Amino acid sequence: MGFLTPLFLLGLLAAAIPIAIHLIRRENPPKVMFGTLRFVKQTTKKLILFQQIQQWLLLLLRAALICLLVLAFARPLLFQGGMARLMDAEPRSVAILLDTSLSMRVGERFERAKAQALQVLDGLNAGDEAAVLTFADGTLTVRELSSDIDGLRAFVNALDEPGYDRVRFYPVLQQADDMLAESQHQRRQIVMISDFKASGLDSDALVSDGQSVDQNGWMLAAGTGFLPVDVGDERSSNLSLTDVRSPQQLLENQTDYEVLARVRSTGNVFLDRGNLSLNLRTQAGDDVVTNNAGSIPVQLNERSEAVINLPLNLDATGAFTGELVLSGDDVDLDNRWYFSLDVLPRMRVLVVNGDPSTDWYDDEAHWFVLALQGLDNSPFDVTSVMADALTVPQIREHDAVVLLNASLQDNRLLAELQTFVTEGGALLFAPGNRVTASEFNDSFAGITPATLISSEELATNDYQLIADIDRRHPALRALNVDFGARFQGYWLTAPGSDSDVLMRFDNGSPMLVEAQAGEGRSMLLSSSLDLAWSNFPLQGLYLPFVHEVLTYLIQPPQRERAYLVGDMIDLSSFMSADNSSLEFQEPDGTLVQMTQDNAFYRARMPGFIPLAQTTLAINIAAEAASSRRADIDALTDAIINPETTPLVSEQVRTAQLIADIEQPQRLWWWIVLLVMMLLVVEAWVANRTYR
Amino acid sequence: MTQSTNFIDPSVLATLDNLEMRARVIVEGFIAGLHKSPKRGFSVEFTDYRHYIRGDDMRHVDWKLYGRSDKMYIKQYEDETNVRCYILLDSSASMAYASASMSKLDYGRTLASALAYFIMRQRDAVGLITFDDKIKDYIPAKARQVHLIRILRSLHELQAGGQTNSVRPLSELAMTLNQKSLVILISDMLEDEQATIKTLQQLRAKGNEVIVFHVLDNQELYFNFNESTEFVDMETAETHITSPQAIRNAYLENLQRYLDDCKKKCQSSGVDYCLLDTSQPLDKALASYLSRRTRSS
Repeated sequence: MGFLTPLFLLGLLAAAIPIAIHLIRRENPPKVMFGTLRFVKQTTKKLILFQQIQQWLLLLLRAALICLLVLAFARPLLFQGGMARLMDAEPRSVAILLDTSLSMRVGERFERAKAQALQVLDGLNAGDEAAVLTFADGTLTVRELSSDIDGLRAFVNALDEPGYDRVRFYPVLQQADDMLAESQHQRRQIVMISDFKASGLDSDALVSDGQSVDQNGWMLAAGTGFLPVDVGDERSSNLSLTDVRSPQQLLENQTDYEVLARVRSTGNVFLDRGNLSLNLRTQAGDDVVTNNAGSIPVQLNERSEAVINLPLNLDATGAFTGELVLSGDDVDLDNRWYFSLDVLPRMRVLVVNGDPSTDWYDDEAHWFVLALQGLDNSPFDVTSVMADALTVPQIREHDAVVLLNASLQDNRLLAELQTFVTEGGALLFAPGNRVTASEFNDSFAGITPATLISSEELATNDYQLIADIDRRHPALRALNVDFGARFQGYWLTAPGSDSDVLMRFDNGSPMLVEAQAGEGRSMLLSSSLDLAWSNFPLQGLYLPFVHEVLTYLIQPPQRERAYLVGDMIDLSSFMSADNSSLEFQEPDGTLVQMTQDNAFYRARMPGFIPLAQTTLAINIAAEAASSRRADIDALTDAIINPETTPLVSEQVRTAQLIADIEQPQRLWWWIVLLVMMLLVVEAWVANRTYR
Repeated sequence: MTQSTNFIDPSVLATLDNLEMRARVIVEGFIAGLHKSPKRGFSVEFTDYRHYIRGDDMRHVDWKLYGRSDKMYIKQYEDETNVRCYILLDSSASMAYASASMSKLDYGRTLASALAYFIMRQRDAVGLITFDDKIKDYIPAKARQVHLIRILRSLHELQAGGQTNSVRPLSELAMTLNQKSLVILISDMLEDEQATIKTLQQLRAKGNEVIVFHVLDNQELYFNFNESTEFVDMETAETHITSPQAIRNAYLENLQRYLDDCKKKCQSSGVDYCLLDTSQPLDKALASYLSRRTRSS
């Protein structure tokens, strides 16, 4: 038994009206002063009893009339075979997509989402099948299509709390659509339970000015319905660190560096009690006092942002970890930004001058040293010596040795130089006319990236230009300037088998060659760095060139240490050659072991991951923390296939089925007929019944 | 006979506060109606002439005959009947019941004043006894005009209350009567009517004329209540909830049996019985009185 319009059943309460009237009137009959009761009291009790029975019968008739009328309006119907069989007539396949991104950690959203998922499962009938997919940046866990509803329910109940990833809708929608394409039932539906952050659309369908633009044109297969279930509509205040610019490396006593923090209010209420503070710690975990005066107050209207500068002044050198902390808002998930920082000592460079001159213009080292020390705050400490005055301790006291048109004959020096380079030192050759090929090749065998063949000196009007540059190389990446230097003299070289040619002259001859030598690194520039063979020192390229090349040689670029949650991190470079595994702790203390075969680690949560060589900083993507909401209707319109018609909800389909069953039965006709008959009976009884 | 249309409706009469005025309106109207009746005169009637002798009242000289015969003749009349009439009015609590504008007590009070006025107008002596379960006021029968004022004042000040006990005033009256009188009882006789009628029979047996005006309200007679009602006895304060429509027939049967019994017993003992409905004009009561007075004279 069921009803087509069950809301009318509320009208059954009206049956209480005649009963209430009867009881009220029975309790309070009108009082009449009468001359005598002698004739009233002489009436028979049997008559009174009969009248009372008639009154009760009349009362029952009237209550029944109201009830039957209400039943008629509720349109009753009989399910032959029961409701379950009715619904089984058209079983369906449902994919439940459960958002487990960062924003679902806010408040009770995830608990509400699980409850909604369970509600969907409860609404399934025997024969239906369902799948559950959790997703964030992509699909995280999948429970394949199954008719085992209890198993699915247990799966949902066992889901852990959401992670720290951003959200993307399209990957999981596509996977669910593919999954439903293989389902056994023709009625297919995707139920997406999420807080529908706009960042979920950004990478696939841009949201601009409230209009959804489906970039890929992808949509669900024809016949697959889409039901969005929104669980994120609460008001909140939220400050978010959407972008932080912090240096990975600083030089000792450098004062012009600062941390830039872009703070955005992503909540939907005005926030006036925010604070931003910077905490710096050494590798050992000790707090470092900077010149920041405590916390900085932050006041932001909804959906506005501010950029805050925090100067960095560090007295010591070494590795540091930094943490920017926002406070004062409702949501704490996106209030911290982690970064690691190395403060390096100044680079010590030993310049060996092979062709000194009293005339500064002709001095081999003049232009080079000027380029290194000409700045107010040079990162280099330069020591310039003549080749014949070079000593072994001088080599050991420096980070880099630059041989400018110099050749060494002292075997002790050569041996020391070999040791220096193979143990991690940096060496730069710039041979000129004072160098002989055989001598050079013999002296620096093993540490030179290329052997010299012969020197070429062109005619007055002839010259070579820099023609081929490896712009991806870290040392040359930043040199986006005019390479217009003219070289009239240069060495023809033969790069070693393990060497890399970074620059070439326009005749194809190598100009800059790099090689790894043990732990160290060496470079050879196949021309001099003074004005004897080229006008290179007078070019704008010269200074940045020598700075970048030396910095690269002394401080090879740090491996990337800043990541976002969800990034895949290649940890193979952190594994030493003799140890093919790596063990570290995640920010929550979980111990993780990686091997050379499985060196990719997926960043799970924000915080620091300390490794032997450095500390990785993991942060939440700004999109993940954004509270901007997606236009659910626009998303629905974008992905629903136009051939999926009609787009009716499950309730409407059920209502249509029930209406189809009710139509031939028409029980309400018979009820109305019965009501009319009872009305006649009521009128007859009422005429014979006294109040 | 008079037509009831010549009389004023009791509801209109009830608007007249002055009892004398009410009595006069009723009686004058009633008498006006009598002129159309073939029966004429009943009081002091002319019979013969006799010669005037000194000491006769000059007012009785027939001056017209003197003018024609030049002899003074005195008109001779039949003797006056010299009737003594006692009106007994029940003022028990049940008499206060009124379904319309006029209660049974008002109706009885008006009837008593009209009768007193009427009797006085015939130069008969009239007295008044008001009672409930005891005698409230006793005014001996006298024929003087001033006496009427006293009766009317007593009627005017009469209030309903107490239970009905007609036997006691009737018995006391019977003991005081030393000549034949006309006894008029105005009552609803709802309590102990058997004893009341028995006492009336005793009065009748002593040669008195007895008229009973049995005054009942229209609702008491026809019981036209509709919905369930809680009835309260005005004399005993007893209550009873019932459905009037359900018991109406039984009620009317019981009432009719009671009225028939009253009428039968009165008639069998020579007591005039007149049932009055308070919604009806008073001509019926006056006509009944007149009928009895005619027979007694």
